[in-house]
Amino acid sequence: MKTRLQTVLSNRFTHLATAISATLLIASCGSGGGTGNAENPNTSQTGGGGGFVYQGPAVQTDDVQSFKINLFDNLVEDRCGTCHGVDQAPLFLDRSDVNAAYNVTNTEGLVDFENPSISRLVTKVEEGHNCWEAADSACASIMTNYIEAWASESGSVSNVIVLVAPEDPDRDPGATKSFPADTALFEEHIYNDVLAVYCSSCHSDTGETLQQQPYFASGNIDLAYENAQARIDLETAANSRFVVKLGEGHNCWNNSCAASMSEMEAAISAFSGEIEVTEVDEELVTSKAITLPEGVVASSGGRVETNVLALYEFKEGDGAVAFDTSGVDPAANLTLYDDVDWVGSWGIRINNGHARAQTENSSKFYDNIALGTGEYSIEAWVVPSNVTQEGPASIVSYSDGADLRNFTLGQTLYNYNFLSRSSLTGPNAQPMVSTPDADEILQATLQHVVTVYDPIDGRSIYVNGELVSEADALPGGTLTDWSNNYALHVGNEASGEYLWQGTVRLLAIYNRAMTEEDILANYDAGVGEKYFLLFNISDVIEVADAYIVFEVQQFDDYSYLFNTPFFYLLSGDPANVGPIALEGMRIGINGKEAAQGQAYSKLVTNIDGAEYAELGQILSPVGTVIALENGADTDEFFLTFDQLGAESFVRTDSTIFTETNPEDIEQSLIGIKTFEEIDATLSEITTVPRTNSNVASTFNTVKQQMPTSPAIAGFLSAHQMGITQLAVEYCNELTSNTSLRTSYFSGFNFGVAEGTAFADSSLVIDPLVEHLLAHQIAGDQPDEAPDLTEVENELDALITTMVNSCSTSTCGSTSRTREIVTAACAAATGSAIMLIQ
Amino acid sequence: MKNQTIRMTAIAAAISIASVAAHADTRDQAKRIHERLTGVPPTETTLLEMVAELEPGGDGGEAAADIAMNHPAFYNVTLKNWATPWTNRDFDVFQPLNDYTATVIGLVRDGDTADFRDILTGDVTYVGTSATGVTPYSTSNNSHYEELEEQNINLGDPANFEAVAQSTLNGLPSDATAGVMTSRAAAKSFFILGTNRAMFRFTLINHLCDDLEQLNDVTRDPGRIRQDVSRSPGGDSRAFLNNCLGCHAGMDPLAQAFAYYNYEFDPQADPDAESGQITYNDIGDIDPETGTRVVAKYHINDSTFPYGFVTPDDRWDNYWREGQNDQYIGWDDGLDGFGNGAKSLGEELANTEAFAYCQVEKAFEAVCLREPGDEVDRNEIDGLVSSFQTNYNMKAVFAGAADYCKGE
Repeated sequence: MKTRLQTVLSNRFTHLATAISATLLIASCGSGGGTGNAENPNTSQTGGGGGFVYQGPAVQTDDVQSFKINLFDNLVEDRCGTCHGVDQAPLFLDRSDVNAAYNVTNTEGLVDFENPSISRLVTKVEEGHNCWEAADSACASIMTNYIEAWASESGSVSNVIVLVAPEDPDRDPGATKSFPADTALFEEHIYNDVLAVYCSSCHSDTGETLQQQPYFASGNIDLAYENAQARIDLETAANSRFVVKLGEGHNCWNNSCAASMSEMEAAISAFSGEIEVTEVDEELVTSKAITLPEGVVASSGGRVETNVLALYEFKEGDGAVAFDTSGVDPAANLTLYDDVDWVGSWGIRINNGHARAQTENSSKFYDNIALGTGEYSIEAWVVPSNVTQEGPASIVSYSDGADLRNFTLGQTLYNYNFLSRSSLTGPNAQPMVSTPDADEILQATLQHVVTVYDPIDGRSIYVNGELVSEADALPGGTLTDWSNNYALHVGNEASGEYLWQGTVRLLAIYNRAMTEEDILANYDAGVGEKYFLLFNISDVIEVADAYIVFEVQQFDDYSYLFNTPFFYLLSGDPANVGPIALEGMRIGINGKEAAQGQAYSKLVTNIDGAEYAELGQILSPVGTVIALENGADTDEFFLTFDQLGAESFVRTDSTIFTETNPEDIEQSLIGIKTFEEIDATLSEITTVPRTNSNVASTFNTVKQQMPTSPAIAGFLSAHQMGITQLAVEYCNELTSNTSLRTSYFSGFNFGVAEGTAFADSSLVIDPLVEHLLAHQIAGDQPDEAPDLTEVENELDALITTMVNSCSTSTCGSTSRTREIVTAACAAATGSAIMLIQ
Repeated sequence: MKNQTIRMTAIAAAISIASVAAHADTRDQAKRIHERLTGVPPTETTLLEMVAELEPGGDGGEAAADIAMNHPAFYNVTLKNWATPWTNRDFDVFQPLNDYTATVIGLVRDGDTADFRDILTGDVTYVGTSATGVTPYSTSNNSHYEELEEQNINLGDPANFEAVAQSTLNGLPSDATAGVMTSRAAAKSFFILGTNRAMFRFTLINHLCDDLEQLNDVTRDPGRIRQDVSRSPGGDSRAFLNNCLGCHAGMDPLAQAFAYYNYEFDPQADPDAESGQITYNDIGDIDPETGTRVVAKYHINDSTFPYGFVTPDDRWDNYWREGQNDQYIGWDDGLDGFGNGAKSLGEELANTEAFAYCQVEKAFEAVCLREPGDEVDRNEIDGLVSSFQTNYNMKAVFAGAADYCKGE
């Protein structure tokens, strides 16, 4: 039996100790209560045609008035009120007496202010009882929002979470099954005989009739398997979404939903039956087990939704429509087109498609903003797929094609862009406002983005609760130029030119300029459904009602976020607890420890009453992500400990390191000199110092043209060009410096023309060869030295050619003599004799 | 004339390559040792001295190498170019001499007395002596070293080039110095902007010869990964769990050692950061954004994953002492595997098997002009590492490698 305990937690329990030590009760849930500036919702639009006019007794109290505005008026005319306002018990919408209706609502326990989402009114429509929208979940969301608004406005307890023990607090981690990585079993039992046969004409990316997400019947078996897993319950086949959906009459085959359900259930049972069970290691020290649905819902309260015009929470999970659950009529529901996925953590992922509301329903934005308040805000939780899209890529747009718009929230690389048409802009709402380039605000991760327009300050952009745009260069203006012929688009423009790829997890549009406080409150409230999972450790530490609690949510399609574990007692005096040693805590899933994400494995602490605060003892301030396996409804979690109280588990590192020698490789045993070695070598063999300004200058010019690696295979002709240039410069410096050349080319006469100077060319060749160490040393040449005769002959031939074939203005002069020596020098010093090592 | 020269050069190149013999006599060996250590040919006199060591009755190849290493080019050219790519993110070899490369050169030169592990731990920087007449060392420019290079000062000569306590130059507390990791050049490249993870990554690449990819281990505890790392990049947490986590889980708790360091410059007046300097938050230096000694960059982008780790200090922990990287890196069991600050992290890194192998293999490749290619080469590496680990004399490693690759 559940025991409701009088302990409450703030659900702004988002991070670190600041949250856990927050005020016990925070009345900030729902529509605007958080900032104390509560305003009535847009009731003027509710109820459709306005045909019903209340003519009963006057409201008796403020709370009845709040009930009337937030719940009664929204339901009485053409929704629940058509029965429960006339003659169908309970008469919680009694059309003749709103005070009586209020009393019935309370006395029958139809609303739960502590947790509006589990109110009877909500669960009833969620079960399909006369939902006025196409999806029961949409009605549930709308009803929840109505109740939250009432609860908040009435000052009732809200935004409060009561921790209660799980229904089965003593369940040991069970032997469970996980989806095998290989697709073979799925293909054999479910895909071939059922999905591919009956579902592939729609639920396939190559479907004949249409291409309807999810593609669990895709011709690509990997894609089909990935999409099917969330719809298969390995423990109870009958609970599988595949089976349940058929039970709702969704495209049964052979004219029998019962037979279709049986066939699907049998296929899933056969699949599950062949999956091996994972047994929990008996040596582990474990907590009791719990699943996400068994946790305590940490409602998404704390949000400020005053003056919301449209709200998309994307809770549906499948189908072709994302419902506007603001409750403000007309509902601007979004129809999904082309490649748009639902994500399990609430949201839609735009791959290569878009979502669009009808123009006539979108007109409520025009009516309530342009003709109404003259100010507005767009709030979105988004995950851009990348930081390369631009255009701007259109995240949210109230527009008509690429050139006409009332507003757009877009992305250009690392920037968010906000385009808002006013009397100061053109019809395309240019110029736009963007986040600063240098700050790279936009990242491909979950971000909270709010754009605000007000007629005084103009446009501004907030990301993750902070104002990030600079002051609008075009403040002021009016919205009188807006058009009511545009439609709301998500993920692209109507023209299809500005696809934005990413995930939208929440979208809200308001006809007021949100304050910084409101924005920060909504950022702090987060997005998606959160739970508190209470892991029972009473048996291990021998303390009654002792739990380790995590805030958990499905993080994306592939993981859970486990956050800020704390020790908590549901009964008893914490002062009597501990200290109890706790070391090495890990998260288990489906019978085994998760392979990745164990952020508490290094934890070393004590559970200690002395450390226990009003809201428990925080064990770690960090959160971590754990891979999702079978799905949020069925994955079973537990905790393990290396040490908890007197019990311990000795963990051994099972990693085996195998050192493997690489394959033998064939490599050249010789190499070439690199750029600076060449420079230094040329200096050595010409005797010209490296600091010589001319050679230093040439070296700096050509060094990047010379080899940087000694690998001989990488030698290029361009390298040789650089080497030659440098060699010529060194030789030029050598031959132009009287002292150096006299010493170097001893006996050679630079003072005569080439015709006589080279009578003995060895006076030039020999010094060069000797400096290159290509000459005979200690009697003969070393084995690896180049053939001396060949080298000498080549140099002599060069000299002879240059002497005999002169065609320059220096012919027959001492200048020509120096030129020839320089050339011979460069040919020798810039050669492979120098280069190879 | 130029065309003729080029033609002749090509001719000579072809002839010379064709004439290189497959084996070497002692003169060839001496020449090869000299050229590969210094990049320049020996004089005939030096060659014959080396030959004498290589001939029967001589002291062998390492003695010959010692002679070669007296040449300035071993320090000014070979070692400078050996170390220069380590000093920048692009592994660019065309960078001027700086305090990072100078300290590597000096610690090799003085290998008989210097412990090469000091490159990651020591309170040491090598500078030109007053005798060189160059502009003195500055914390805010590299002129001192650029002048040493421009003047081709012989860095092999202790009269020109000497070790000084780094802390006396840059003002860091002595226990906050960590060899080249706290050099100005390293700070300019790896502490500039960013998150300081670059200092860890590039130290890993340059001194343990492993990039993060080789150490990627997705089974490690991610509890110290900072808030700026998305756990669901592009909305897909598999990318984090299977990739990002594998590096960050180990890197982030190690890079925490640099939490008090920064490289500060004026981005407006000095966009290339040429006049910046290393900074360190000593006791009492409180960063206004973090409220602690931790520099602000450690807390940037905190909304990317608000549930991530918030760095409170410079305590580092080595999570890679468990799992696949324990034996792969070969950590020193005599150390704790945790500490505070860059110096103790440097000690953790410099005492690994990977560090010793990395230095030896780099030296081997520098003088053999190839990587170890077969079992014989690998055995030689093992032997050089064993010797190196007895005294961490890096100069001896160069001598040993040159001797091994001198040819038969």
